[in-house]
Amino acid sequence: MQRDVGSLPLAPALRARLVAAGFQTAQELLDTGPCGLSKEIGISKEEALEALQVVRQECHSDATQTAGAPGTSRKCTALELLEQEQAQGFIITFCSALDNILGGGVQLTKITEICGEPGVGKTQLCMQLAVDVQIPECFGGLAGEAVFIDTEGSFMVDRVVDVATACVQHCQLIAEAHQEEDHLKALETFSLESILSHIYYFRCRDYIELLAQVYLLPDFLSEHSKVRLVVIDGIAFPFRHDFEDLSLRTRLLNGLAQQLIIIANDHKAAVVLTNQMTTRIGQSQSTLVPALGESWGHAATVRLIFHWDNNQRLATLYKSPSQKESTIPYHITPHGFRDVQPPAVTQNPEGTELNPRKRPRREEEK
Amino acid sequence: MAPKKLRRARLSQELCERLSRYQITTCQDFLCLSLLDLMKVTGQSYRNVQKLLCKVSLACAPKMQTAYEMKVRRAVNPSSAFLSTSLHGLDKVLHGGVPCGSLTEITSPPGCGKTQFCIMMSVLATLPVSMGGLDGAVIYIDTESAFSAERLVEIAGNRFPAYFDSDEKLFSMTRSIYLYRELTCGSVLKRIKSLEEEIISKKVKLIIIDSVASVVRKEFDTKLQGNLTERSNFLARGASLLKYLAEEFSIPVILTNQITTWLSNGLAIQADLVSPADDLCLSEGASGGGKRESGSVTAALGNTWSHSVNTRLILQYHDLPTRQILVAKSPVAPFSAFFYTVEKSGFVLQDGKDQTNLTWEGTNPALQNIKFPCSTWIYNQLCKTESGNVLIVAGLSKTESL
Repeated sequence: MQRDVGSLPLAPALRARLVAAGFQTAQELLDTGPCGLSKEIGISKEEALEALQVVRQECHSDATQTAGAPGTSRKCTALELLEQEQAQGFIITFCSALDNILGGGVQLTKITEICGEPGVGKTQLCMQLAVDVQIPECFGGLAGEAVFIDTEGSFMVDRVVDVATACVQHCQLIAEAHQEEDHLKALETFSLESILSHIYYFRCRDYIELLAQVYLLPDFLSEHSKVRLVVIDGIAFPFRHDFEDLSLRTRLLNGLAQQLIIIANDHKAAVVLTNQMTTRIGQSQSTLVPALGESWGHAATVRLIFHWDNNQRLATLYKSPSQKESTIPYHITPHGFRDVQPPAVTQNPEGTELNPRKRPRREEEK
Repeated sequence: MAPKKLRRARLSQELCERLSRYQITTCQDFLCLSLLDLMKVTGQSYRNVQKLLCKVSLACAPKMQTAYEMKVRRAVNPSSAFLSTSLHGLDKVLHGGVPCGSLTEITSPPGCGKTQFCIMMSVLATLPVSMGGLDGAVIYIDTESAFSAERLVEIAGNRFPAYFDSDEKLFSMTRSIYLYRELTCGSVLKRIKSLEEEIISKKVKLIIIDSVASVVRKEFDTKLQGNLTERSNFLARGASLLKYLAEEFSIPVILTNQITTWLSNGLAIQADLVSPADDLCLSEGASGGGKRESGSVTAALGNTWSHSVNTRLILQYHDLPTRQILVAKSPVAPFSAFFYTVEKSGFVLQDGKDQTNLTWEGTNPALQNIKFPCSTWIYNQLCKTESGNVLIVAGLSKTESL
């Protein structure tokens, strides 16, 4: 109630007039009332009423925050956060080695960035994740939907069809082995058509379209509340040419990163970005580093770097708040993103549920 | 693709006038400002500014489609998704052929058959849909003056003798191939910008640029300061224009590229000249351990260009006259290789030497090693001496023997 008039979100001209007239706190404005305000400042009664409504709403939300109402405030204890994180799901990648180093898969409410050389499999992983987020809950998935924002034009529907068909077949195998009611019921709705219908695809041709789409994304996600994954394939491409003013580029990228963090948190979705590599020419050698500059490196919470070692594709977890840095090999098969060879024999009943190479052991026990 | 004026974003007239006083006339300018700047400039409250942002974004944002709608559209018109190359093995691996709506690049050492491939694809694009073509015109931008109309007619006559049985058919095919000779980067870019109208008026179904690398390398000497960024800018702008055209009209775009020497990490510290009489053959790259210790020949135009193209096909020499075509980068196909020869009728695949077991042997498409015969060419190379120093063998000569 003692909030300074200069900090209220009113139109700048109006604010300047209020300060010039001598108003200091929001309480003073509310006490004056619309008619008094309009006479003193010289604005119409409707404008005065509008301004007072804004002030009232601001003060109301301030008050609830200071009173500590749990619903609207963003405070919580670390214990509550721990429980939240443990209950949270992951989006699996069907490559168990990659899931392991990520701590279970791609995390919700965080931004994951995938950097890599051309042709190494970034778009393939994105397409795989767009299918995997839709796996029904009884199979260990999130039953969500996916938004795919494409800036490079490498999204091929035929490939997504292949990946989705393999995923459906895999779930069918599990259902046959377990023969449980809810598995069969889930399979009725989990088909190729439903998977494809729940991938919302946007093709952004330059950075303006990308900025516009990200501004509109919160509204879109409120309408489609089941979306759990937002993929931006190629965040680097639209920003890497036609930018003479690098400071504008940094500002736009930072704004974009902030908006994406807010979207990830508010809608409990995972945000996955793919980045290119660029050559940094040093004194005596040149190295490949992720594009978009040093400051962009702070935007993502988790950073994966995909690279080649002769003929083997490797994934390195480069930055993560909770997992150790490590490198694993992976393959891209006609069915999608997979492990290099059948993983080790250790049996963890829930863990091997979605292991693509092994059938669950339960059928032998029957 | 000029930035949209704010008037068309349905903002009120007086607001547009007020904004133009601050030099904000396009949606681009509007969206690039921060929220505080916008409040100052529009003179409105925070909430109203957010509503304005949504309005302007709606005017700029792309339309949503689900993957299912895309699939249905492809299923309704399957032949419009790919241009068949008439090489059966290659088509099978690429799920139909050269994809429509994206950029495909052909890279090879000189003399392997890039221009032959382009000429063959031009013929194929003009064929009717029943024969696997796109029944449309072709725009061929030639920067090296390598296009030969006689060869075009020869390939057409020998590859499809039953179809091109009369002169009339041959002439109608040649009439639908529009050839442009451009010799500088600027004129190439101007030509690409003008293509949008030509595609609609001439019903073009294929764009070929042969070759991007020659005109870029002529003008941009990357050893000079600042040229590297200018070159990347030019390439990125060209690539995004071509992608826009490819997607808007759903047509394939084929570009050709050249090769360059790739210098490994840990560059030359000393350079010793070795007598060119020594028979130095190009190493197969990646020999002995993970680190590349010797140079190799790879596709030119750098890393960023490798990101920009969607599909990369590499032609390389094998045992003359047999050559190899590799699928180095593709969103739908694994790494594969096929043998072919260049005949009167164009490319002919050798059957029986099926290379599908090469599925997991691909490597970085930007660094994929390209073989060429060392008995007829000696290029700049790197190799290691016993003392561990790195040499550069100078000399670009073509020996006439062998």
